Amino acid sequence: MSMNRRQFLRGTLATGAAGVAGHMGLGLGASPAFGAVHDARGEGTHELFKKFKGNVVLLPGKYSGTVSALDLSAPETLAWYNYGLDGMDMPIPHHIAAMPSADPYKSFDFYQTMQPPGAPYVNENSPEWRDRGDFKMYKMRYDGSGQQNRISVVSDVSEATGMGLGVHVSIGVGQNANKYVAYADGQKDMVLITDLGDDPKIVKAFKCDYDPVSRQLHVSHIFPDSSTGKFDLLGRKGMKTSHEAMLGEELMPADPTAVFVDAWTWHPELPLGAILIRRLGCCVIVNTETWEPVALLSTAKGSPDTFPEVKQKGSTWTYSVPSVLTPLHEAGFTPSGEYFLACNNVLQNNIAVFRSTDPDPLKWKKEAFVEGFGRKYLPLHMGNVPDSRWVFFTIWARKPNNGYICKVDPKTWKVVAQWDTGPDPHTCDCTVDGKYITTVYSGHQAGQSGLVVINADTDEIVARLPSPAGHHDHVVVPESWEGLKSSRSTSV
Amino acid sequence: MTENTEKRARTLIGAAKRRSGVFGAATFAGLLAFSLSQPALSAQEEGAFPTADEVGGDVFPDGLKAGDPFPTDIELYDANGKPVELAEQLDGKRSVLALFISAVPASVGELKALEKAVDTNSAQLLFLNTDQVGTALLGGDKIKETARTLRVIKHEEGLKSPMFVAPNNVFAPNGLSNRLGIRGLPTVVVVKADGTVENVFVGSQDWNKRKI
Repeated sequence: MSMNRRQFLRGTLATGAAGVAGHMGLGLGASPAFGAVHDARGEGTHELFKKFKGNVVLLPGKYSGTVSALDLSAPETLAWYNYGLDGMDMPIPHHIAAMPSADPYKSFDFYQTMQPPGAPYVNENSPEWRDRGDFKMYKMRYDGSGQQNRISVVSDVSEATGMGLGVHVSIGVGQNANKYVAYADGQKDMVLITDLGDDPKIVKAFKCDYDPVSRQLHVSHIFPDSSTGKFDLLGRKGMKTSHEAMLGEELMPADPTAVFVDAWTWHPELPLGAILIRRLGCCVIVNTETWEPVALLSTAKGSPDTFPEVKQKGSTWTYSVPSVLTPLHEAGFTPSGEYFLACNNVLQNNIAVFRSTDPDPLKWKKEAFVEGFGRKYLPLHMGNVPDSRWVFFTIWARKPNNGYICKVDPKTWKVVAQWDTGPDPHTCDCTVDGKYITTVYSGHQAGQSGLVVINADTDEIVARLPSPAGHHDHVVVPESWEGLKSSRSTSV
Repeated sequence: MTENTEKRARTLIGAAKRRSGVFGAATFAGLLAFSLSQPALSAQEEGAFPTADEVGGDVFPDGLKAGDPFPTDIELYDANGKPVELAEQLDGKRSVLALFISAVPASVGELKALEKAVDTNSAQLLFLNTDQVGTALLGGDKIKETARTLRVIKHEEGLKSPMFVAPNNVFAPNGLSNRLGIRGLPTVVVVKADGTVENVFVGSQDWNKRKI
């Protein structure tokens, strides 16, 4: 039986080396095990948090302009970085994805997107705010190998590619593991795929446009300038609307071509990825060997499983979208790859369940719907556990309602537990052992906020940590490429 | 499912069949079943979202068309944030109402071109910002802030036509965009002197070729 470093560390702490005696033996100063990690043994909260050893949680602070790495087992912040240090006025760290690391206390890389202030909740579109903030993607690195932990910028992906996108980021798994990272943006309706290098290279880029007259969706490959090798889409260039549609705001009037692309999620087994299109309630399934769209799933209840391709001309694929019965927000795969789940919201609040095992996505069928959310609660984000025994969802609500987190049984597609974790809940993730669910809430960017940890099986809330940073996302650093399948890859 | 929604669903199915040839009878049955399952809550209930039934059965409803009366009872403010009546602004004149949103660059960019395209001897041109700017970080009165934004846009773009704030609430079934069926901006509505819609233009147009 093999044991990785993280399992070894957990085992060590659980077998007598831990405890007061061990702590006393260490004396004052840094633990010998890690360069700059607090040793909480002997402290009153140690018994409560020690079970989280091995879990480092990345927390982007949407309104603090920071990203921090939290050792959930101490708990303490290992390191933090303010993106204002990179020269940005009003930085808004938005979404995040972490590369796998066998020892996250020592080192790991992660990707971060940035969004300008005309963002959900804020919508500061008044003149003074129009030029603040920026669309950015960064590759970042945590270094815990010395006496001073650090988070630093490895590369400005937007500058390297000439394209600035500000919403979800996801890292390839399965057949796409250790190859690609995908960025998306709903103000520009674009997706960019790059390699994972420190000097990132463009692999493929997509743009989506709706024609409201013909009711057709155009999905196009877009190409960098041949002379520079880069796009000319930095900052606000290419922006269709100056603020991202607020949650549930898919009905808002916008540029007629706007479809609000939100994310790319990766199939864990097949060479496929999905472009999530909020406003059309659709997902473009793309073959990641050819990067060609192969199906357009329609996720609404009462709509067909797929909408037909009507033509392909050059690098543009055109689909007929004759009706849109509801928008969606996020959609993703279970780690087994057996199901593709789509969070329909606003006009229908349900979760569509497609079986996604067939290599031909045109054969994927909606088999069930998770229902019962009423008209005040929107299925929003999706969280997985490694063995796919449960699926977790964030169910968001407008003020004065809090929203909640729910657990769904994939055998019955029924909600079997739910938690009012606090106002304005956002993403779910799981600890590396799959035993606990982590989730953040931001108090509508000003009020009650923090991080909550839930036992995935007993349904007990086992920890609650405060945070003033207004978290819109978070991620637990996965321990392996297999572990990434239940992180920011298959779902967002 | 109300009569309107059922009619809308049947229209969609028919349109879908014509367009794609893949929409089956099961689709309508599914839509019917879904609509019947919706709780009959008050649309005004705090924090509620509209149902499909309340906004025309589709994310992209048909919207206003020629011959429809243009509603004059919409909430409206002038560029100083003072409440005004649309009926008084229309004043029984043929009018071109350019509905735009300050958050959409293409929408703002359309206004200057429209001033060149509209013959003001045959119609008056009014700009309606169908949204409000956010005040979440700095606070303040949304109408006044939006009116101030209009004045900045007017100055920056060198516009001469009257500008108004027409507040919209996408979450309310009777919100302006849901009521008019508007999803794309700019939407330009030509209103006849008798108050009925003469023509509707959705999205950016080549106003060098198209005159009003």
